[in-house]
Amino acid sequence: MKGIEDIPDCRPGGHARLGRRCFIGGALSLLSMPALAAAAANSLEKPVLRFGLTPVFLSNDLEVLDELKNYLANATGHEVQLVTQRTYQEVTALLVAGNLEAAWICGYPYRKFQDELVLVATPSWRGQPLYQSYLIVGADRGASSLDDCRGDIHAFSDPDSNSGYLVTKAYLAQRHLSEDTFFRKTFFTYGHRNVIRAVAAGLANSGSVDGYVWEVMKSIEPDLVSRTKVLVKSDWYGFPPIAAPARLKGTAAFERLRSAFLGMVSDPVGRSLLGRLQLDGFVDAPPSTFDGIAANIELVRRLG
Amino acid sequence: MKLVDEFRRIPLTIRVPAMVAALMIVVSAIISERVLSRLYETQQQHMAAVVGTYLDGLSNALIPPVLRGDIWETYDILDRTPSTYGVLVPLETIVTGRDGRVLASSHPKSVAPLAELPAEYADRAPPSDGMQIDWEKRTGFGRRDLLYQGRPVGAIHASFDISHLIAERREVLNTLLATNAALAIAFATVGYLLARRMVRPVKTLADHMRSGASATPRPIALEEFPRREGEFAELFHGFNALVEAERERSALTLKLAEEEKLASLGRLASSMAHEINNPLGGLFNCIDTLKRHGADESVRETSLSLLERGLTGIRDVVRAALATYRADRSGRPLTVQDLDDVRLLIGPEIARRQQTLNWERCPDTPSLAVLSGVAVRQALLNLVLNASTAAGDGGKISVQSRFDAEACTLVLAVGDSGPGLSSDALEVLVAPDPAPASRRANGLGLWMVRKMVDETGGRIRVGESDSAGALVELHLPLRDPLEVNHAA
Repeated sequence: MKGIEDIPDCRPGGHARLGRRCFIGGALSLLSMPALAAAAANSLEKPVLRFGLTPVFLSNDLEVLDELKNYLANATGHEVQLVTQRTYQEVTALLVAGNLEAAWICGYPYRKFQDELVLVATPSWRGQPLYQSYLIVGADRGASSLDDCRGDIHAFSDPDSNSGYLVTKAYLAQRHLSEDTFFRKTFFTYGHRNVIRAVAAGLANSGSVDGYVWEVMKSIEPDLVSRTKVLVKSDWYGFPPIAAPARLKGTAAFERLRSAFLGMVSDPVGRSLLGRLQLDGFVDAPPSTFDGIAANIELVRRLG
Repeated sequence: MKLVDEFRRIPLTIRVPAMVAALMIVVSAIISERVLSRLYETQQQHMAAVVGTYLDGLSNALIPPVLRGDIWETYDILDRTPSTYGVLVPLETIVTGRDGRVLASSHPKSVAPLAELPAEYADRAPPSDGMQIDWEKRTGFGRRDLLYQGRPVGAIHASFDISHLIAERREVLNTLLATNAALAIAFATVGYLLARRMVRPVKTLADHMRSGASATPRPIALEEFPRREGEFAELFHGFNALVEAERERSALTLKLAEEEKLASLGRLASSMAHEINNPLGGLFNCIDTLKRHGADESVRETSLSLLERGLTGIRDVVRAALATYRADRSGRPLTVQDLDDVRLLIGPEIARRQQTLNWERCPDTPSLAVLSGVAVRQALLNLVLNASTAAGDGGKISVQSRFDAEACTLVLAVGDSGPGLSSDALEVLVAPDPAPASRRANGLGLWMVRKMVDETGGRIRVGESDSAGALVELHLPLRDPLEVNHAA
């Protein structure tokens, strides 16, 4: 439950992946199925539900993973397989390719692959399905604005992260700057917790981090987080959602998964899980929740 | 040199243990130096081996991120590395990239990414795979090149806390010091006891010698001998033999002195016999005259007068002889009567040789009582007899006794008109050691004089008399100057 990561998604994969799923699932002859929807429907009938997460999630709290797995298995009736990868991109690629039935991804890849993905549910944090990106610096640093961070060594979380990359990049792009010219050096840590570690240790002078992760960690690892402070808080953006390949929309499995997330708050195990994640619950947010991210993508595309 | 002299003055019982302790200190210093330097080598080798293992483990993990120039992953590996590695306590680990700049360090706040390698690492530049120990800074430095396909892509620079090594060294040093100090004290104690034991016979011998110098030497008793036969036992036997010889010699000397006394008495007796014999013929003549012409008043008167004078002379001579025997009560204090006795005793001899005696006597005083009557009279008699012999028939002799108020002494001066003192006689009287000369000189008369003067603590002066002969002055100290002055 420590660093909760944006989870990359991926679009439905090609036939090859369907074949693999068939192999795993066993019985059905997927080769004869022309329609993706049918294939997806069949695939969801199989007992295994593959759910994608980022590796930082895994490395930080196995208990949360176990609880999530058990909850999903009970709530959906499927056997649940949690899949973790090192980067968002890898998870997103698997999801878009159809090798995962669902994944917890970032709003940024969701908007990038909007046509191929559908929202399952969106977490609600502090009463709304929104969060901010924080630009953090060392606690003992005297900086007062982003301009003071010129020439820094800057830690990003992941190139596919909205809060850990896109927000800062868009902010600079608005000023006709790029991260390579504004900062002396940038690097990716592939995890929001790592960004906090890097800034706390002094490896990076500043970092872009998920505001939700920073706030949650503040209560869990106060010693680490207290060595950093928030310099800039961004606008509110859509919270990293649970997404599934678009072709699965409307299938029974998709609905079961969706109601599992939306009903988590009314289940004891689910409430315990939400408590660990410090979330209110999951809501059915409209895609327009992520319009801010889409705007940033457009801004960066035009100016960056 | 002064120090050396001072040291030599310290008793052997202290000097030996001190030298043993000093020797132990030198030995322990050498041993400690050897042990510690060996320990340094071992520690350094051990440290180098552990550091090598540590750097090997790191370099395998670090090569991929260093190749990519990945700051985060490099740091992440360093950060996850345990802070202790067995006995090794890494202080700081820095990874440099191909350009030699810092990629990441375990403590980014002190060594930030992209910075130059700190001078303490760059200047030290231990050989790759090597290990350097800076004992002063209590830090070990290691370096390992990161090789990919045989080409260097970066390097690991690490520093380690070696205070545990220093603590180990200090512990070893303390153990060495404590052990060596204990040994030094133990050896010094044993040395002291042994030296004291060995020196004890020497002390016994020295004590006997000292007491022998101030009084009669006495042999060392058998129970005082060292238990084992050896050099010291021989020395003791030698000393006892020496004491025995000295005793015999003293006894012989006393015997000879007695004989000398008797000899001089013999000479006096013969003079006395002569003195008595001379008037005897006249006295018998008087008796004959009285027998035949006793009736004649005038003849009788003359004869009786002659008889009286003759008998008076004989009585005086006999009194002097009696005085000689009366004198032999030892310890009697000196009076002027003793001096007068000498005049009486020498009288017949002077007369026989037809010599002239100039006699001056000091006044009487109780202060004389500190001197022995017998010894002084015998000495004066010996001197006067010597003078008489030296002066020969018809010679002149002067005997003077007086007080020297300033030096508080009784002075007895005996002069003669003889040829002067022989060199042996002179030596007997004034040389520091009169023994050899007294053996060469005939008779013990002058030796007894010298002995008496030495015993009273006085001195002898030798000079020339008015009549160009020898003059011998005995200066005998009196204790109370006031009484002398008063009496004089």
